[in-house]
Amino acid sequence: MIDPIFLVEAAVNGIMLGGVLALLALGLNLIFGVLDIVWIAYVDLVMVAMYAVYFLVMVYGWPIWLGGLGGVVVGVALGILVHLLIITPILDSPPVNQLLATGGLLFFLQSIATFLWSTDHKSVRVSLPSIELGGIFVSYPRLIAFVLSILVMVGLYLFLTRTFIGTAIRAVSQDRGAMALMGASPQKIYVVTSAVGGAMAGVAAALLSIQYSVHPYFGAAFGPITFMICVLGGLGNMVGAFIASFVMSEIIAIGGVVWSTEMGYVIAFALFIVMMFARPGGILAKRQ
Amino acid sequence: MTRLRVVVALALAGAVAFTVAVAPAPTVQAQGRTIKIGVLFDHSGPFAAAGSLNVWRGAKMIIDYVNERGGVMGKYKIVQVDGDSQSKTEAAINEAERLLNVEKVDILAGVYSSAHAVPLAEKVDKQKKFMWITTAIADAVFKDRNLQYVFRPQTNSGLFGEASVQYIAGHSQNKLKKAAKDLRVAIIYEDGPYGAGVASSNESEAKKLGMQLVLKEGYSAQAPDLSSLVTKLRAARPDVLFHTGYNPDIALFLRQSKEQGLRVKAYVGHGAGHSQLAKLKEAFGNEVEGFHTVDPPASQLIDPKKLTAGLGDLTNEMVKRYKSFEPNIPRDVIAPHVSMGFNNMWVLLNDVLPRAIQKHGGFGADALARAARETDIPEGGTMQGYGVKFNPPGHPMAGQNGRAFAAVFQVIEGQFKHVYPEVIATGAPILPLPASSPWAAR
Repeated sequence: MIDPIFLVEAAVNGIMLGGVLALLALGLNLIFGVLDIVWIAYVDLVMVAMYAVYFLVMVYGWPIWLGGLGGVVVGVALGILVHLLIITPILDSPPVNQLLATGGLLFFLQSIATFLWSTDHKSVRVSLPSIELGGIFVSYPRLIAFVLSILVMVGLYLFLTRTFIGTAIRAVSQDRGAMALMGASPQKIYVVTSAVGGAMAGVAAALLSIQYSVHPYFGAAFGPITFMICVLGGLGNMVGAFIASFVMSEIIAIGGVVWSTEMGYVIAFALFIVMMFARPGGILAKRQ
Repeated sequence: MTRLRVVVALALAGAVAFTVAVAPAPTVQAQGRTIKIGVLFDHSGPFAAAGSLNVWRGAKMIIDYVNERGGVMGKYKIVQVDGDSQSKTEAAINEAERLLNVEKVDILAGVYSSAHAVPLAEKVDKQKKFMWITTAIADAVFKDRNLQYVFRPQTNSGLFGEASVQYIAGHSQNKLKKAAKDLRVAIIYEDGPYGAGVASSNESEAKKLGMQLVLKEGYSAQAPDLSSLVTKLRAARPDVLFHTGYNPDIALFLRQSKEQGLRVKAYVGHGAGHSQLAKLKEAFGNEVEGFHTVDPPASQLIDPKKLTAGLGDLTNEMVKRYKSFEPNIPRDVIAPHVSMGFNNMWVLLNDVLPRAIQKHGGFGADALARAARETDIPEGGTMQGYGVKFNPPGHPMAGQNGRAFAAVFQVIEGQFKHVYPEVIATGAPILPLPASSPWAAR
């Protein structure tokens, strides 16, 4: 029987992981909610922004906070570029074409990153201590990432609910056609949404950089689970994605300690499959 | 009339079958003076940085070296045709098919990942094509398959797992202050054939020596989080941790275990990312002091006096040429993967191919297989120190080099030293982990 203190530690680790997953899922969900297109390559945009943080901090010697801000700027630029170059021409295409286009972007980003920066794993070395509380260790980088993730999510919530442009974004996500009829320009809202989604990717990149090495295939670790969280929470449903992030991360963390690391993921994915049958619209969807 | 046609058709078919059966294998005259070798490694994907690219560099360097001297036996030029497995099994299989059946290579060489080598070895053998595995180590590649055309000069996973446990057992009492039977050991591994193979031999050797196995657990090399594994390890309180992984899982585990306060007396990795010291130091600096890895010996760490005359010069050639790829990596930090590519390909070019051409009439798969089965290089006869003698058909590990051995390396003063077996040791082991290590038991 495992000591309860380790179960508590697992639960805390689950919360930390959930914060970062939620940040990734909210960016992807925001874009889907407004544009009705899934950016399959979203985590690969995070990967490119992580490279930006790495080069700014480790090669050009910027302080980590400034490097992180640089990553956010790169994220915003990438979000706008992806929208203008790839998404705009396919906005009215069938969903499968849209999926193929963003899937192609994923392979393009992985290949260009391999070409430019090789397959080497690059690490932002920050030396931060761990916090020990009653035998439970909490990693400082993960704690920082978690707190900042929550702050950014609160900021996003306030942006969407308390600003004019945020209200416009929510309006487009509710009825794209009606907004156009009222004389508003959905295209402008799309660009702003993509920029905000890109900024979220940049923030995630800055926070992940202090926890993970960056390499061209970074997306393979976080891409599938981020997408699953979005689907589990209900595509486009921000609150659903937030809750789903913590459900998944807690199952992975506690299941991993009670049974095994592999089993933690097996249970999480099995739950996902069951939920797709039980609640295909997401965990907060009303039953039909 | 109809009966006559049937008889004629049968006679023709019989004649064709007889001709095919008795026709000699293509001779060297028929094959020409170039030998096409398909060199299959991962140039992209996570395996590339975990050692695959370094093995390819080693293989390319020796092929270039031999070609600059006129080729095999001074007259048969090597044409190197590269394939990229992309760190994916299906891509490895497709690339192997391309190399064998489109590029029509005479030999398929390389293969970094055991997950690729396990299906490939059987497929290539069934096609009666010759395959030379330089790197992938899983026992499952050969175990009970009786392969006829697949050979591996490289050490196998069973030896990896045994070497690390025997090394720890040998220093248990005097350095770790515990009898081997009282030592608490944990084994963690990526759950592919490579990690599972090494972990299995870790476990059987630890049990044989009476060690206390407190945890054995696998994980996916692509897992985004390993904190629950670290928590379980802390709960299990091992003295020694045996770890087999690739990358980026190794870096993720080390980072999370450091932050979550995992403390052990010894940390023993097994190859792949654990042997890419330059990359580990980039991520963790001098904190990796005292870490171990297990791999075939690195040629540049072996005293050339213990090897057949002239091999030391070849090793120097390898080190010199490696500078063109990595000018800033010091000699003693070069990953053993470079030696695996350079040395194991050299055995093919210098021993197997000349015998196949001279004695067996060419470099078709049958001639190469016969020549490989006659290889008999004594210990000290290769740059990596081991001899080469392939297990014969009918052996449970037919095609595996029975004279290969694994070495335990340790990071001592920022560089790799061989610490086991003693015959090739270049440094005295530091056990337990130095107090400066964030992973050191306090």
